[in-house]
Amino acid sequence: MKKSYDVIVVGSGVVGSSITYHLSEERNKEILSIDKDFPLSGTSGSTQAWVWVHNKTPAWYGELNMYSAELYSFLERKIGDVEYKRTGGIAPFFSEADREKALRLAEKQAEVGIKVEVLSRDEVLEKEPSLSRSIAGATYSKIDGNVNPFRLIELYIRAARKNGAKFSFYNPVMDITKENGLFKVTTQDGDYFSNQLVLAGGPWSKSLGKLLGIDVPIKQVRGQIVVTEPLRPFLSHTIGGVRQADNGEVLIGYSKEEVGYDLRSTLDIVQDTARMAIDFVPALEKVNVVRCFSGIRVMPEDGFPILGGIPGIEKGYIAAMHSGITLSPLVGTLMTELLSGGETSIDLERYSLNRFDSLQSIG
Amino acid sequence: MNTDLLIVGGGPAGLNAAYKAASNGLKTTVIDRWFTLGGQLNQQTQFYNNLPQHFENQRGYQLANYLIDRLRKLDVKILENHKMIGAYNNGSIGVTDGKSTFQVQAANVIMTTGAMEEPDIFPGWTLPGVMTAGAAQILINRERVLPGKRALILGSNNFALEVARQLNDCGVAVKGIVESRNELLSQNDELLCEVDIPVLLDSAIERAIGKGEVEKVYVNTDGIESVYDVDLICIAKGMTPIFEPFEIMSCDLTYQEKLGGWLPKYDSRFETTSPSVYIAGNAAGITNIGGILLTGEIAAASILEKSNAANSLKIEEEKKYLWGELYRIESAENPSALDARLDVIRNFHHETGIQLPVYLDSVFGGLTNG
Repeated sequence: MKKSYDVIVVGSGVVGSSITYHLSEERNKEILSIDKDFPLSGTSGSTQAWVWVHNKTPAWYGELNMYSAELYSFLERKIGDVEYKRTGGIAPFFSEADREKALRLAEKQAEVGIKVEVLSRDEVLEKEPSLSRSIAGATYSKIDGNVNPFRLIELYIRAARKNGAKFSFYNPVMDITKENGLFKVTTQDGDYFSNQLVLAGGPWSKSLGKLLGIDVPIKQVRGQIVVTEPLRPFLSHTIGGVRQADNGEVLIGYSKEEVGYDLRSTLDIVQDTARMAIDFVPALEKVNVVRCFSGIRVMPEDGFPILGGIPGIEKGYIAAMHSGITLSPLVGTLMTELLSGGETSIDLERYSLNRFDSLQSIG
Repeated sequence: MNTDLLIVGGGPAGLNAAYKAASNGLKTTVIDRWFTLGGQLNQQTQFYNNLPQHFENQRGYQLANYLIDRLRKLDVKILENHKMIGAYNNGSIGVTDGKSTFQVQAANVIMTTGAMEEPDIFPGWTLPGVMTAGAAQILINRERVLPGKRALILGSNNFALEVARQLNDCGVAVKGIVESRNELLSQNDELLCEVDIPVLLDSAIERAIGKGEVEKVYVNTDGIESVYDVDLICIAKGMTPIFEPFEIMSCDLTYQEKLGGWLPKYDSRFETTSPSVYIAGNAAGITNIGGILLTGEIAAASILEKSNAANSLKIEEEKKYLWGELYRIESAENPSALDARLDVIRNFHHETGIQLPVYLDSVFGGLTNG
């Protein structure tokens, strides 16, 4: 394998492979993407894979998600069918007090162009008759949906390969240094050099950052997901915590735990998750759970994406975020604009790693 | 519910462990996901002539009945049709009968989850008529159904030859034992005595074809292709321990090819890296019936020793005897598995810095001298 590249992208999850793909579209750069395992063996392969917008706040963050969701249909025309479905998203609430909050959310999101409706119980049940009669209402938006993450990442990689990008899997990065203005990436399979470097290591971003002497303020958050036996199609929307996949299985997940990179399922959470699902969709009470899995999500300290150049490291870039599935088409596009030296379509200042320094100095 | 000892899996290892523990006064609970106890022993019709000295040599299903009857006379809680489905943060185990789930707080757990048969893949392997040797054995011995009329066996370990013989005894024409190496894996020559089963060494199945089921199989022997008209292919490529329940219990794993691949680490008491979680039987790495029975018994004896439930001098003597038997049987039947097992144990003791018991000196001495 060739040793020198224009760009090395570390990480081939949904974020890394999208960046590699979008960079490769220009066909003017030699790109290498390196992953410690195989794509989908980590975070990107253990997700509910919502493309979810409507209740992400504040509005500027919702807006970022909206733009990315809007790119999906365009993306599918380029890389192929990733089973993106705009099912509409329902986020139920259980008390009248929450209706006030819901109305404020709708108002705020409207300012950036996200259409959110606040539905009464009857309106929700009309849309999704299997939901519990004990809900008080829901926020709803047409823009939400889901995607098949396996197809998405496979097609990002396939399209990138077609455009000439190279991939190296099962190849952990052990060190990163700078030599004569080039990045030297020491991997298990040897040294690779590049002019530009992108860290897209998801939950491993912190340890990758350490190789460059920087702190990437993210946490690893475990989400446990419960999967039911295949059922006749009966849920047509993506519902807060619950969705039915094409094969009839219902995926359920609400939990967030900080337990490090521990992929085990615990019965406490599995049972809580099942109970919660029954609160939302009572018919699930009679259904068998066939498996559980956990995903380790990336959670920046303040919840928002870390995107852009790495301060103090010329030609070094980072992309680390929660909601990588939703954000990947936009992040790939923006990072490509950034690495190509142009102006980014959206100002990335707000997402810079710098923001954490200023927080510290104020604190 | 509370119990001194929870045994997950009611096959030979679990049943023997349960007997040892309960007959010494430990409050013991056995769960098994199947509706009968005995596990894989139920369809083993072959005669075991090398059981531990405190057992009478007998056929597999007879041994199952013996172990079950013996246990039922004791005060043991036996829950058939119950599965372990997970663990809670407080360390208790979630058990379900499919309708409700309850927590079992156990001071000790012995997990005898067994092993899975390894498949082998060739073009046509998904056709009906291709099955593992274990599946063919269940069909003939338990379900009383002939799985085919003419068969090829892929693999040549002891189990492959046993099943070949049982199929032959049932009137299935076994057309050959296909082995990729240049000698049989099984060193038990007696298994093929007095039966007319061809052995195809340096051979591999290239593909199986047929309309809706296996009809023809192409076998490549040293570059020469031959066609077999068979309707059954039994794959016997060895076993791999079922370790997922150990992962749930946070047990560290290790890789030992000779023991079937990934399996939990364990020490000379068959305790895993998770305190009070023990392992025995096939889950502890491929083993013969003697080893299955003995590992269960050693684990149970270790728990008795720890719980002061029996005279410690007596227990030590017993463990010495059990280990002696394990060494005797495994060094005769599968010396490379024994070496690998002792490796696992030695590594564990090395990592924890806990000395191996003195009574194992001869076992490990025997290894290094041999």
